[in-house]
Amino acid sequence: MTGLLRDLAALVDPRRVWGDVEDLVAYTNDATHRRELPAAVVAPESADEVAAVLRYANQRGIPVIPRGAGTGLAGGAVPVSGGLVLDLKRLNRILEIDHKNLTATVECGVVTGHFQREVEARGLFYPPDPQSLAVCTIGGNVATRAGGPRGVKYGTTKDYVLGLEAVLPDGSVISYGGKSVKMSAGYDLARVFTGSEGTLGVITKVTLRLLVLPPSRRIMIAAFPELDSAAEAVSALIARGAEPSMLEMLDRIAVTSLQRYLPLGLPPDLEAFLIIEVDGHPAKVEEDCALVAEVCREYGVHEVRVARDAAEAERIVQARRALFPAAARAAPNLVIEDATVPRTQVPAMVRAIRRIAERHQVLISITGHIGDGNLHPGIIMDRRFPESVRRAEQAMAEIAREALNLGGTLSGEHGIGLLKAPFLEWEFGEAGVSLMRRLKRAFDPHGIMNPGKILGGGTAGVRD
Amino acid sequence: MYAIDDFVGAIRHCLQCNFCLSACPIYREELVEAHAPRGRLNLVEAALVDQRVAPNEKVRRRLDRCLLCASCARVCPGGIPLDDVFLAARVELSGKPGAGLTERFVVRQVLNRRVTSSLLKRSLSLARRLGLAPSDIPRVASSSFTRRAPREAAPRGPTAARVAYFVGCGTEYLFPDTGEALLRVLPDHGIAVVVPEGQTCCGLPALALGDLDATREAIEVFLAVFAALEVDAVVTDCTSCGHMLRQKAPYVLPPDDPRLKQLRALSEKIFEVTEFLERLGVQRKHPLPDVKVTYHVPCHRGWSEGVAAAPRRLLAQATGVRWTEMREPESCCGAGGYFFLRHRDVAERIRRRKIEDILATKADVVVTQCPACRYYLQQALADEGPRVLHPVALLAGMGP
Repeated sequence: MTGLLRDLAALVDPRRVWGDVEDLVAYTNDATHRRELPAAVVAPESADEVAAVLRYANQRGIPVIPRGAGTGLAGGAVPVSGGLVLDLKRLNRILEIDHKNLTATVECGVVTGHFQREVEARGLFYPPDPQSLAVCTIGGNVATRAGGPRGVKYGTTKDYVLGLEAVLPDGSVISYGGKSVKMSAGYDLARVFTGSEGTLGVITKVTLRLLVLPPSRRIMIAAFPELDSAAEAVSALIARGAEPSMLEMLDRIAVTSLQRYLPLGLPPDLEAFLIIEVDGHPAKVEEDCALVAEVCREYGVHEVRVARDAAEAERIVQARRALFPAAARAAPNLVIEDATVPRTQVPAMVRAIRRIAERHQVLISITGHIGDGNLHPGIIMDRRFPESVRRAEQAMAEIAREALNLGGTLSGEHGIGLLKAPFLEWEFGEAGVSLMRRLKRAFDPHGIMNPGKILGGGTAGVRD
Repeated sequence: MYAIDDFVGAIRHCLQCNFCLSACPIYREELVEAHAPRGRLNLVEAALVDQRVAPNEKVRRRLDRCLLCASCARVCPGGIPLDDVFLAARVELSGKPGAGLTERFVVRQVLNRRVTSSLLKRSLSLARRLGLAPSDIPRVASSSFTRRAPREAAPRGPTAARVAYFVGCGTEYLFPDTGEALLRVLPDHGIAVVVPEGQTCCGLPALALGDLDATREAIEVFLAVFAALEVDAVVTDCTSCGHMLRQKAPYVLPPDDPRLKQLRALSEKIFEVTEFLERLGVQRKHPLPDVKVTYHVPCHRGWSEGVAAAPRRLLAQATGVRWTEMREPESCCGAGGYFFLRHRDVAERIRRRKIEDILATKADVVVTQCPACRYYLQQALADEGPRVLHPVALLAGMGP
């Protein structure tokens, strides 16, 4: 292995190459329970260095695992044994924010939250807001098509990628797209790389579309005695043009754990709670707020609270933010699912998840972006016990199957990674997956790029 | 107690979300996950819990490269006490060779003995000549604070409260002016102060070395000196002493120790001096209208709600200084107790950001309640830059 380290040290500054197990331990996983020790970690500082490392690995057939902040929820950044982790966090420059064209060009390692602050300081807006935005990177977001609560109105990362630069395994660099909003030239290679989870090459630079920052936003919370009426209210208010910028649902289990962490005075015996935000011009926001309240009442809401002042709004925002910590405190460990269905199928999906929880004797709290049908069942497990992990993974498989039955997809915003790779054929059939394999081979003939992810067949295993 | 067995549950509970990445001052400089909280936690798990990695010198060195600022624990969605896990790991690894012999000597024979300044100065210069101590360790004040301080200070006017003053090593050896200011300001506000004899260190420097015996010794002295006093509160001018005595001390004694209850009761009575003053309400004014002041918030602020808010409110109310907030007032300065002596490179890079933020405010004075921050910042700001003071110094009328 010292040969590998010596070779890498000739390609990049040796201080950015790690081979001691004491360092590698920090790179064995993402935010899932899968772990595997890589052979080395290398942190390039430029696309040229990325190209040099890839060319080297390609010649020797060494697996390469591109890595952002290691916050993924599908195992996409879990190394394979003997693999080389390509830590891209040092490519972290915002190259340009173009106010006139409403675009920004950034390196892949730029932290999403930092980018948003920079953009917003100029009165501009980059909406995709994954939960991990304080640490995750734009490159990782593009590679997984990351989304967030704002997806219901603004879409996810994929809707903001205008162009990108990527390094192929042979070290060649491609560039597709740019500042033009319209583009009808050739195969859309930017789209191919978007969501490719590091299996085709390494995204090193991205040009993103920006919006103008909405001047006003209001937040409210609505409590429904029944899930179905909450779901119908959601469909109705979107159909009537309310355009919420966030539409989050919490079930009773989620509200109970939330209130244990942050008492909100919500009635504990109701089935569904909605956190709704609207943004835009102040007049439209006012109108939308009234419309949302009206529709909620029509559908039998128990209580709807529109934040009247900044303090109350802050409290509701806090509740939204506290969802994850509350779940984190309740669980020994957590598998966060992201099965997604058409909006109208949300009640059916929630009922199916409850049946699955019952059948496998696992506790599943359900929260999610109800407005876009993207649910986040939180499957509670204890990774110390193989039986607990097995049941959680089984529940996950069935949730995935159920989402497909209801006309949905395996993943709304986390990606396929390792965890959902076994299910891919359920969604795309043999022909679809076979085409994806051939596509991968065209980009990566030696199969060095993040093997085992999306398409399966890798060697990364369950820990211990 | 600080033994890794007591933290296995916490370690296993980590969701691996990595949100702590954004909070770690070291990671922010180095962008290396092995020097970030989740990476350190996973190393502790691998080396000390699962025994997948030998708990050797390399492990110890990596865990040593941590400021123990507790920022990671503050942002952890799962509420995992990461800094306690790292402290327990240091205790676990402290028996291993190479674990800071010089520092251990200083903790045991100097801080826990509270030797006089002159003895300390003599031994430091000897150590420097022998190459046992770096040449730029802090200059010790010519006479230690408790040698010359009165044992008691009577309040002016009716007695509003009676407190005991816990004199930290920072005030004792580096900044006796803070102690002098405190003994002037508290009586001015009707607070009777006793400065108990026989007190020593809070134990945090020993704990950071993983020297649990020396830590316990410090806590035992704290109990012996302070527990029997009939006072409303024990005040400290040092946020790290408060952090240690309020939050860490109970984990230093074994869980079946009969003194634990007494220690917990005493811990509850610990207050940072500006917070205590603010709670009591400040009547007297110390007008300093021409002084422009900014505030560096010490990392060890989580132990009491008011630690970070009190200087801002108190100084605004009592002095009318021109207040100016620096960018990121809560970000670390790099000192980390004596971390900066052991990891100069990264400490200096962290400090560089802080100094830029301070200079951008054009303030005359930086206030902070941590003597290590004060020392480390003042060293970089040199003579022409703003002075770094404890907030009570301004209340005592000690301007720039």
